Parts: sequence; C-alpha cells; structure tokens
Amino acid sequence: MRFLTYNQDAFGRNMLVGINWEGWLWLPVAAAAAVIVLHLAQALVRRGRR
Amino acid sequence: MGQDDAPPQVRHRLADRLYHWSMAASVIALGATAFLPMVGLRFDWVPIHWIAGVVLVAAVLFHLWRVFGVHGLRAMNPGPDDAREVLRRAAGRPLDGLAPAKYDALQKGMHLAAALAVLAASGTGLVMLAKIDTTFWRRNPAILADQTWGVIYVVHGAAAMALLFLVLVHVYFALIPGHRAYLRAMLTGRGPELARKAQE
Repeated sequence: MRFLTYNQDAFGRNMLVGINWEGWLWLPVAAAAAVIVLHLAQALVRRGRR
Repeated sequence: MGQDDAPPQVRHRLADRLYHWSMAASVIALGATAFLPMVGLRFDWVPIHWIAGVVLVAAVLFHLWRVFGVHGLRAMNPGPDDAREVLRRAAGRPLDGLAPAKYDALQKGMHLAAALAVLAASGTGLVMLAKIDTTFWRRNPAILADQTWGVIYVVHGAAAMALLFLVLVHVYFALIPGHRAYLRAMLTGRGPELARKAQE
C-alpha cells in the first residue's frame, strides 16, 4: 500500500498531494500501543521477580 | 533512595509550567482537528486548527526565549552518559557512575523527538497559512509550485503522525505511578531535582 497519495495534473503528470491517511493512520497508534504493552509487560515481569 | 524520599525542590517554574500546558492544549486541539475528521467526525475544523497552530508557534517562541534567555541548553542536551544509560537500561545493567542529571536519557529523547516533530509541523503549518482566507489576509497558494505544496503536505503529515505517537506515549508515562512525581512537578512546580541520581 502506498504511503503517499498522488493526483494527476492537467498534463497527466503525477502530482504529490500528501500522505495516504486511510492506509497509514493506524501506524502511530499501533506503535504507541506496542511501546505501552512492552513497558507494562516489563513491569509485570520485574514485579514477578521480586 | 526513591524519587519521593527527598524533600521536593522547585523542578519547574510557573512560566515553564504554563508554557507546557499551553503547548499541550494546542497540540491536543491540533491533533483532534487533524485526525477526527479522518475517522468520520465531520466539522469545520480548519479555523480551530490554524488558530491552535498559531498558539503553538507563540508558545514555542516563548519556550525558546526561556531556554536561551533563562535556563540554557545544558540540562536537556543529550551527552555520552545518556547513550550509556540507554545501553545499560536495554541490557538491564545498573546505572552506576553516570553523571546525575535533571532529565534522564529517555526524557531527553522524548524532548528531542517532540521538538523536531513540532518544528517540522509548525514550520510547514506556517507556510500553509498562505492557503487559507482569514480576517488578516487573503489566500495565495501561488507562492509555491504544486509539487512543492505536495512536499509541504507530506512533511506536515509525517510530523503529525510522529506527534500522535509521541503524545500517546508521553501521556502513558505521565500517568504511570512510577512517574507520578514528575506529573505532580508539572502541576505544582515541586518535584525531584534529578531524574538520574548519582548511584552509590
């Protein structure tokens, strides 16, 4: 899936217009969730060792 | 010795706390107006977005004045001991012998990442003000070529995605019990003098 979106100008050339939000908005949210889950897991493991 | 054992010092002055919360409010307003329409909540988001953006730029300029005119760069600049701290944390090794610091490596890393993202988003956002009609000016998109506008939009969008990630992670770490003293410090001013203490 493309990260960037393009339109065509009057001459048929590809024109960069922005980010493909529909395809990629989930990425920062998923990355943050991964960091949070990993940190929580690490805290649980440390608490289990004590 | 835990971070709550020592009597609380003034960690953040009022001007800096007011800056932080102004920046937080404007970043949340910017994020909400940027992303909620994308997930289906339709409203006239553009005026709120650009006004919150101008507020953010004003807050950043105030912060830069506080940094260069009052605090200096030293407390927040990453150094060799910060790299050592990251490696030792990753390896689960103790932090003995590292220089004490007001901000630890992860706090400095968060600040650096957020600073770069905010500067990229607000710099491109200021340019994009030329594309809207306001009380103060008429829109003039001809200042840049179409392909250049595309690059501006991509940089602005990528910075916004980075900020979304950073804000979510930042709010999580601000709320966890182990970091409560830092949240209290940003609300009341009083908190631990050092995030990385001298280890004995």
